[in-house]
Amino acid sequence: MMTIVKPSQTLIEKTTGLMQDGMNAVAFGEYGIPEALGDARWTDELILSTWYMAETGKIPDGLNYKTGKSDGGFDRLDFKFLPESEWLRHSEEIGTTLDLNRRGDAKRKLTCDIPWYGGGMSYGSVSVNVMMSRARNSARWNSFMSTGEGGYPAPLMECKENVITQVATGYFGVEEETIQAAPIVEFKYAQGAKPGLGGHLLAAKAGEEVAKLRGSVPFVSLFSPFPFHSTYSVEDHSKHLDWIETVNPTAILSVKVSTPHDVDMVAVGSFYAGAHIIHLDGSYGGTGAAPEIAKKNIAMPIELAIPKVHKFLQAEGVRDRVTLIASGGVRTADDIAKAIALGADGCVLGTTDLVGLGCTRCSNCEGGPSGRGCPWGLTTTDVELQEWVQPDWAEERLHNLYSAMQYRIRDILRKLGLSDVSELRGRTDLLSYIGKEAGE
Amino acid sequence: MLESTGEGTTTAAAGVLTLEKFGAESALIGREMADQYHRYNIDTEEVDDVDPLPHRFLVEVGKVGLAKFILSEVFHYGLKPDVILSRPCTYGVFSGPVGGFLPRPKLCVGCLRCTVQHPDFVKVLPNPDLLALGDKYTTHGHITAIDEESKKGMVPVRGQGYRGRFGGPGFDGMLTDMSEIVRPSRDGIHGRELIGTSVDIGTKPMHLSFDSDGNIVGKTPDMFTIKVPFVFDIPPGDLGTQRLAEVLNSTCKRIDTLACMNASDVLDWGLDAPHIVPVVSSPSPETAASFPKARLIELDAWNKQAFELLRSSTEALVGVRINFTDGWQETMMKAVNNRADVIHLNADLHGRGGDGRFVSDLLKEAHMLLIEKGCRDMVTLIGAGGIVSADHLPKAIISGLDAVALDLPVLFALQGRSHGSLQTRDGVKGTLPRKMTNDWAEQRLTNLCGSWRDQLLEILGAMGIREVRRLRGEFGRSMIVTHLEDEAFEGIEGYVSGGAA
Ligand code: SF4
Ligand code: SF4
Repeated sequence: MMTIVKPSQTLIEKTTGLMQDGMNAVAFGEYGIPEALGDARWTDELILSTWYMAETGKIPDGLNYKTGKSDGGFDRLDFKFLPESEWLRHSEEIGTTLDLNRRGDAKRKLTCDIPWYGGGMSYGSVSVNVMMSRARNSARWNSFMSTGEGGYPAPLMECKENVITQVATGYFGVEEETIQAAPIVEFKYAQGAKPGLGGHLLAAKAGEEVAKLRGSVPFVSLFSPFPFHSTYSVEDHSKHLDWIETVNPTAILSVKVSTPHDVDMVAVGSFYAGAHIIHLDGSYGGTGAAPEIAKKNIAMPIELAIPKVHKFLQAEGVRDRVTLIASGGVRTADDIAKAIALGADGCVLGTTDLVGLGCTRCSNCEGGPSGRGCPWGLTTTDVELQEWVQPDWAEERLHNLYSAMQYRIRDILRKLGLSDVSELRGRTDLLSYIGKEAGE
Repeated sequence: MLESTGEGTTTAAAGVLTLEKFGAESALIGREMADQYHRYNIDTEEVDDVDPLPHRFLVEVGKVGLAKFILSEVFHYGLKPDVILSRPCTYGVFSGPVGGFLPRPKLCVGCLRCTVQHPDFVKVLPNPDLLALGDKYTTHGHITAIDEESKKGMVPVRGQGYRGRFGGPGFDGMLTDMSEIVRPSRDGIHGRELIGTSVDIGTKPMHLSFDSDGNIVGKTPDMFTIKVPFVFDIPPGDLGTQRLAEVLNSTCKRIDTLACMNASDVLDWGLDAPHIVPVVSSPSPETAASFPKARLIELDAWNKQAFELLRSSTEALVGVRINFTDGWQETMMKAVNNRADVIHLNADLHGRGGDGRFVSDLLKEAHMLLIEKGCRDMVTLIGAGGIVSADHLPKAIISGLDAVALDLPVLFALQGRSHGSLQTRDGVKGTLPRKMTNDWAEQRLTNLCGSWRDQLLEILGAMGIREVRRLRGEFGRSMIVTHLEDEAFEGIEGYVSGGAA
């Protein structure tokens, strides 16, 4: 068997140079669109436009950067823009801030400069290089990034004000210090791509470092059971949150759930248990590994869950005391704005970050036939492959991508005559549905 | 009804049922069952391909471009072999004896690193031969999934999120529910090893009747149990060969399920067995006697006389196959009222009834009709048509079936190829691999069953349901995309129910 070693600096430079030049050449249209690229949700044009934005910080011409071809949800929603004469001037004054603590309690008053933050991708499912680039980028946007359930690699402490500590059902890597360091602690009840099934890190990806951080044995598969074995009720859930409050009295609390038919009740229960953020993760979201049957069939897409929860929280009279965050299939700035118009306050992104760094959505993250994980160096801790994502380059890519996305959010707002993203929340009257043509 | 004799066996109930007797009998039965218990498992094992599907991608490398690239590498990094020898593909496509000059596309997983890294001389294309498999309902996606499930016997697991369309027609428009906190069991990793997938085939009365002495009078349950909620249907079209029948026979015996076969084939090939369901069309008084081991015999269409003849000449359960064509509701009720034990409902292989409705809607109607008439438990509903993916199994059960009958998946599990449309049963044309052996084929079908059962467990586990019998007709455990859309998008300009303009 071939021994895999950390690549030499020359090899890193050669390989990353070829990969980056190639991505740019394809995104800038120097070659045709690769025929095998893309799928219904992330089309070839969405992937290439994301690469373009990550390289330039600008919106591309000639590529559809707004929607995929999934034939439903975000892809059939559009904005009812005002006549051009009534558009506001493009300006950095157009507010894009997301308020994360609406309870009016004594905990931190946290905000993000943009209406989204980074979702959990655990150490093990991605490398430290990827985590660091996401964390540093979050710091630049006064935003956040979740550790996922894999512990808190020491280098992340550099960005601790922007790192969310996740507590999930396996309690992997949950330490008192990292809870105390966190501005936000996120309880993950379920994940949209595999709701009700727990997590699974394949043995090949649970190497020495990963296992150390998770308090486990190297190269043994790690399961996060489902659900929390201590939770049968809202009261039990409330005890969880009390526990975190005892360890870190100022951290705000996020509860991540997936989207069953009673997601509205779950959300209200989470609010009464003390959550500041209710994070809904829809079924079309990303994952390091999940049964195909779960991704497609269990629970509902996020577009269908947001209005349900938003309206229920309104009816319960608590909507303005909680931040509703949507994830799971949110790909673009347009998706974010649509999610907000449907009733969310903001969104969480994961796959978009990876696509910005080169992901082609090939679905081999779980290891693939090579067992080494992502050939682009993203969802892997392989000593060679992880070097293909250098943190400085990746941080800059993400910053550019976020700049272009913020620009597009402002562009949408001004064309709707809104001066702040908070004015968009729940404004389904500003959306239209693109009906199907006869025979479609 | 089964009752302990106190000698470790069971026999039909007799005598007065007193409270003491009930207590003693129950304890004994419980003990016996506990002693006999073994956890049901389908032994899957990866098997080699005998006629592999076309690979997913074609990899084209421009030889001149590659040669130029290698030369420039040597020029730049001459003394650094690790750099020169590094390749973009971690899957070995370019690791043959002459590297990229003779790529090995069957290893390609479509990560596209090579073509992005070298867009000037490498192309990766979807393989049109793969895309051409199947037809518009049973697509190449279904076929490749069945192929993988039958090869490995595992639940297909991949990275990244869902790649397909939002909702969709037929079963794609139905989602299954989950529970944030309820589990079938807190004991296991997911509790799924304790979920039951057995189903009962046969009939039971809606209630038991006793006389004044406590003796059971009237009908008692008449059923047997199979370990999985799916059976094999008569192979459609020209697929019904002796070889395939033998494979179905041995597979059913191994995993404890049933295979429906034309009665004449069962006779000709000497396949009478408890797990073979002969399907007869015009029975004579002697027909049933030809199948002494059968536990269930099906009549291929409703015919009162034929049914009564069969019923009176066998101890086996009697089922009736009914197509979803005009008047099926009336036919089904006639069969049930005449005490058919099993109704086997058939849509076409695209899952459509004669009126164009999809099989999930038809099954719901059948299930609800039986409930309204107060006789749902008096009959077992088996159904077929349009079931070509693991998720279709729980969805068909949610729609009202007790068990699903598999037809086309068998062809693709055995790496067969179809030719032309796969819509009508009679019209199916297919070929099975020449190199197929019985052992190989049995393992492939066993793997498919293992994989589909495990995927069913994933769905049940997510719902917190402990046995598949409880899923039957549980419409509330499904979500219909168009209903959710109506709720979510109501009032949005341009939205009309169903998404049509
Ligand atoms: S393996 Fe890498 S490129 Fe492929 S989908 Fe996963 S993250 Fe993206
Ligand atoms: S697309 Fe990926 S897997 Fe296929 S040949 Fe290229 S590098 Fe290898």
